[in-house]
Parts: sequence; C-alpha cells; structure tokens
Amino acid sequence: MKNMKQKFSNLLRDIFHPREIFRVLGKDRYASLKIRIVLLDVLLSMIPLFIVITISYFWFQKILKDDFHKQLNWEIQNTKQTIEFFVDERLSVLRFITSSYTYEQLSDQKILTETFARFKKEFGGLVDFGIIDSSGIQRSYTGPYNLAGKDYSTQEWFQEVIIRSYYVSDAFTGYRKIPHFAVAIKREVPEKGTFWILRATINIDTLQKYVNTVNLRSNDDIFIINREGILQTPSKFHGDVLEKYTAPVTIPRQEILIQELQTSGDDCKICGFATIKHSPWILVTVIRSTPYARIPSIFRNELFFITMGSILLGLIFTIVMANTVVNRIKLSDQDREKAVGQSEHASKMASIGRLAAGVAHEINNPLAIINEKAGLMKDILEVSGNTPDNKDKFLSLISGIAESVNRCRTITHRLLGFSRRMEISQDAIDMNDAIQEVIGFLEKEILYRNIRLELNLQENLPKVITDKGQVQQVFLNIINNAIDALKKNGLINVTTYAKDDKFIGIAIKDNGSGIPKENLKHIFEPFYSTKEKGEGTGLGLSISYGIVQKLGGTILVESEINKGTTFSVELPLKSEGD
Amino acid sequence: MAHTKVLLVDDEKEFASALAERLQLRNYDVKSASNALEALGIVHSFLPDVVLLDLKIPGMDGIETLKAIKKFDSTIEVIMLTGHGDVRSVEDGMKSGAFEYIMKPVDIGELTLKINRASQKKQTS
Repeated sequence: MKNMKQKFSNLLRDIFHPREIFRVLGKDRYASLKIRIVLLDVLLSMIPLFIVITISYFWFQKILKDDFHKQLNWEIQNTKQTIEFFVDERLSVLRFITSSYTYEQLSDQKILTETFARFKKEFGGLVDFGIIDSSGIQRSYTGPYNLAGKDYSTQEWFQEVIIRSYYVSDAFTGYRKIPHFAVAIKREVPEKGTFWILRATINIDTLQKYVNTVNLRSNDDIFIINREGILQTPSKFHGDVLEKYTAPVTIPRQEILIQELQTSGDDCKICGFATIKHSPWILVTVIRSTPYARIPSIFRNELFFITMGSILLGLIFTIVMANTVVNRIKLSDQDREKAVGQSEHASKMASIGRLAAGVAHEINNPLAIINEKAGLMKDILEVSGNTPDNKDKFLSLISGIAESVNRCRTITHRLLGFSRRMEISQDAIDMNDAIQEVIGFLEKEILYRNIRLELNLQENLPKVITDKGQVQQVFLNIINNAIDALKKNGLINVTTYAKDDKFIGIAIKDNGSGIPKENLKHIFEPFYSTKEKGEGTGLGLSISYGIVQKLGGTILVESEINKGTTFSVELPLKSEGD
Repeated sequence: MAHTKVLLVDDEKEFASALAERLQLRNYDVKSASNALEALGIVHSFLPDVVLLDLKIPGMDGIETLKAIKKFDSTIEVIMLTGHGDVRSVEDGMKSGAFEYIMKPVDIGELTLKINRASQKKQTS
C-alpha cells in the first residue's frame, strides 16, 4: 500500500515536473539512447506512412467527388427527362384532341366542356381549355374565367404558335393570382386554307410535383427558371414563382452543364443547368452541401484503424529493436569496461612489481644498518665485556636500531596503504600530500639517478574529493615515465595549482629528450610503448588517461624534442566518477 | 704485517659508521665515504687495498666509480655491496673488474673472508 502511494506520488511528480524525467534520462545514457533511436525511427517510418495516408485520403475524396458529379448528372438527366415527358405528354394530348375533333365541334361550348371534363380527370392540374380561330379571337372557352371572345392576335405566343405549331408558355398569374402556364397546339385546316388553336392552361403545382422527385439534402435546391431567370417553380432559397433568380445562369450548350463555383458564403458550390426541350425552361439544381468532402465514416474509421495499427506495430517493433540494440551496446560496453578493468589490474600488478624492487632495496638498507649496529654491540661485548663505559655507546646504537625499524615501518605502511587504495573509495584528499607520498616511493630512484626534483606545491590547495589510490597511480605512472626519460642531471618539476573554483591542476615537467610528434598522438593508446621489450607494459598512460577521464578530469601532454615533456592533469574538486 | 686498508663507500652513514667500527675492531684500517667524489679523493690519498663499494650511490653511478678506481690503480680490489639484488649491475661490475660482490645485510664473517682474499690477491699481484 505504501509502495503504491509512493509510485502514485512519483507519477504526479513526473507529470508536474517533467524536467525530473529528463534529468534522469540525461543521467542514464542508455535510456536516452533508446528514446533517441525510437524517436528517430518513428519519425522516419511515420513520415512515409502519413504521406501515403494523405495521398489516399485525397485520392479517395476525388473519386467520391467524381462519383458525386456522375450521380448528380444522372439525377438531373432523369428529372429533365421526366419534365420533358410531362411537357410532351401535354402537347400530345392537345394534339390528339385537335386531330379527333373538328373546329366546329369544339366551338360548341357543350362538347368543349365535356372534353375538358374528361381530360381533367385524366390529367390533374388542367385549369381551362380555349379554342382560338386564325384571327386570334377565342371562339369558345371552358374554365373558371370568362374569357370567351378574348383577342390574342397581338400576343407574342400567338405569333409563336403560328410559326412552330405548338407553344409552351412561361409561368404567369391569372386572374386568381395562381401561377400557371399555357400550352397551345395549332391545327391546320388545309382544305379551307386556315387553322385554329387549342389552348390549355395548367397549374404550376403540377410541374412542381415532377421537379420534386429529385432526392436532395436539406441544403440543396432544385427549381425551374425561364431564360430571363424568372422562377417558374418555387425555390427554397431564391424566392417564390415569378421572382427573379439573381445568381449567374449559364445556358448549357449541351443538354446538361454542371459547374463548380468556388464562392464563399451562401452561394452554391455546384450548379447544374439543364434545358427542357419544347419549353422555355431551364432546370436549375443548386448543391450547397458537399457530401463528398466528408469522407464516409466507414472509410475514415478504416483509415484510422489502419494508421493506428501501423503506428502501434511500428512503435512495438521500434521499441523492441531499440531495446535489443541498446542492450547489445550495454553488454559490449560492460565487456569493454571489464577488459579495461582487467588491464588496469594488470597495470597495477606491473606497478607493484616495480615498487617491490624499490621497496626491497629500501628495506634492505635499514636492515643492513640494524645488522651492523647489532653486530657491533655483539663485537663490543665480546671484546671488552659489559662495562659501564659501554652504556652510552649501546644506547646510541640501540636508538639507531629503533630508528631503522621506524624506517622499515614507514615503508611497509606505505606499501600497505597502496594496496588498500586499490579498492575504489572517495575521500577528501590533499593533492600535495598525495604527490609527496608518490614521490616518497620514488625518491631513492630519483636520488640515485642524480635527478633534481623541484616541487612548486601551492599552499592551501583546496581538498579534492576523489579516489586517492587511482590519482596516485596516475602520478606514479607519469613520474616513473619522466624518470625513465631522463639521463644524467635531469630535472623533474611538479607544480600544483588551483585552476578555478572547480578544478585543480597538477603539472609534471621534465627536461628529458621529449617525445617526437608522431609518437605524441599515440601515447595514450593502450599497449603503445617505446621502451625496450619487457621494460614497459604500454598500459601506464592509457590507464592513466582512463582514470583521469573517469574522475571527470583532463590529461594533456606537451612535448618538445630535446627540451622536455609536460603532463598536465586537471581534476574536478568533486569527482563525478563512481 | 700492516693492517689491510679498507675504503667503505656507502651513502647510508649509519650503516657505514657501524660497519667501519666493526671492521676496525677486527684490525682493519678503515675509512668511509658517502659519495663517489669523496670516495675517489680518499682513494688518491689513502691508497686502500680493498674498496667496499655500494652500487647505488649519489653523484656517480657505482659502476663508473668502480671503473674510475680501477683506472687509477688496477691493483685495488673492489668488493661490490648491493642492497637490491640487481643482477644486471653486479654482472656489469664483475665485467668491469670487481673482485667480488656481497649482499646487504652483510654477514661479517663472510665479508672479512672476502676482504682477506681480496687483500691477498692484491699482495700477490
């Protein structure tokens, strides 16, 4: 329970302080490598996926649009044909009447009324019938108005019907203000060299019924206008019959014209125009909704699931791959670290071998002193016996022995300290003391080789929290190399200094033969040695380099032939190493 | 018979003085030096029969000191003292004309034996 609570509070912290996550990621370079690989891979694989999806989306939209246009064309065609059939049917009926009855018969009011009544039953919407003679005078009439005797000779439609022998009018309002249209048929009487006309008026509602057969969405509109743009059937958005349709109209050259208009606002997006044969009408279809623009949800859902599936699969593969790769890298890093650790150990062993010879020599000297002083005491006792005169002499010899024992003790302590420091530890160390200790190991060697040692150790040097053993190994390697590089009358100068408030520096300078430029770039490489075979492992400087890096510091070398070499080591006051 | 003249060259003064005293108790005429230059000076003035020479002394390499002594008087016998079992230096020393070598810490009996043999060799040469 407590654990859960802790996890929950960690989660909250991560959400509100995401920087914490980045801090942790920044520390764990494998995790950050993993994330970088995943991000890069996802980016690389998702870009083509999104391109394909976008292309197919638009491609599909285009197909839908084309399909919609075809569908619209087909519907307009259908409606146009239906209306044309309607018109033709009316014309045929009138033609039938004019061929079945004579002028004289239909001029009889009774016969006309009977015929009208019969046909009105068959064809709804008929308002009236009228018979007009060749002079334009309505000879008989049946219908709701009293129009018998009306003179049409001056009207335009009368001229039209004479020329074409049929006529379909625009919509107009009669006496009752109900919109309707007229259809007229001319009947020639060749034997008399004259003609007569049957004229019928039909309610516009009848036409409207045919227009309304088209299945449209609520935003769309279909209606009929004449060539002047006057509405012949009511429009949802442009007004009632006989009002003016204000939007631009293109009279199609062919049967149907579908135009797409890129206008904003309420204007139509797609306009269909179709002329109705044998009439002055144009069927107008206005599509304001763009149903093709909204890809059907099934396709969208499929696309969505395919995309999500691909992303998920890609992500899983990427994560698995990144995990495998990074784990391999981690393993090989661990192997490498192990190998470096082993070579470090080898180098330590080599240093110890070297030290052992020095230590043996150093211990031998006080042992030799003890040997001689004890031997002398024995000699004195043998020569002169235990006399009070010898007391002072003996005391002096004994104190000499004790001093030599102390010397041995110092040496063994130093050696023990060195071996103990092979364990990794972090202590606040005084760099000057650490260097003095290292020099303590080597001072005999320096003395015998007649090397002058200069120490410029800065006083009050800040303490460094680091691994003393490792640091000392670095200096032991560098000073040993300097000793080896020096001939007679050599000089080694060791300088310590505080570089800034974060780093201290240690410079070890010799006046030896220097390192040629071509060798200089290799000196930190493992197993690179210019010493004779068996003299050096070739690991000292490479391991020193590794140690300094691990402790968060830098090691630099400058060398000039016949002038000498300077190794500069800079270490952070607080080591980052573990 | 005059006492055998022995020059002891070692930079460890405590060692040199104790050993010198012990050799004096055994009737040797002993002088000691703590570096190469001092040693060569004493060789000139004291004309020792035998030189006990530490191979590691400040100032000049032990082998070179040996060569210098031999150059001055090839009859002076040199016994090398070595504290660190440096086989190569001992080899070089023997090649350069040293009579014998002895390891530190020194067994006084062995040392006197070697000094006497060296002294005898000098007498006969």
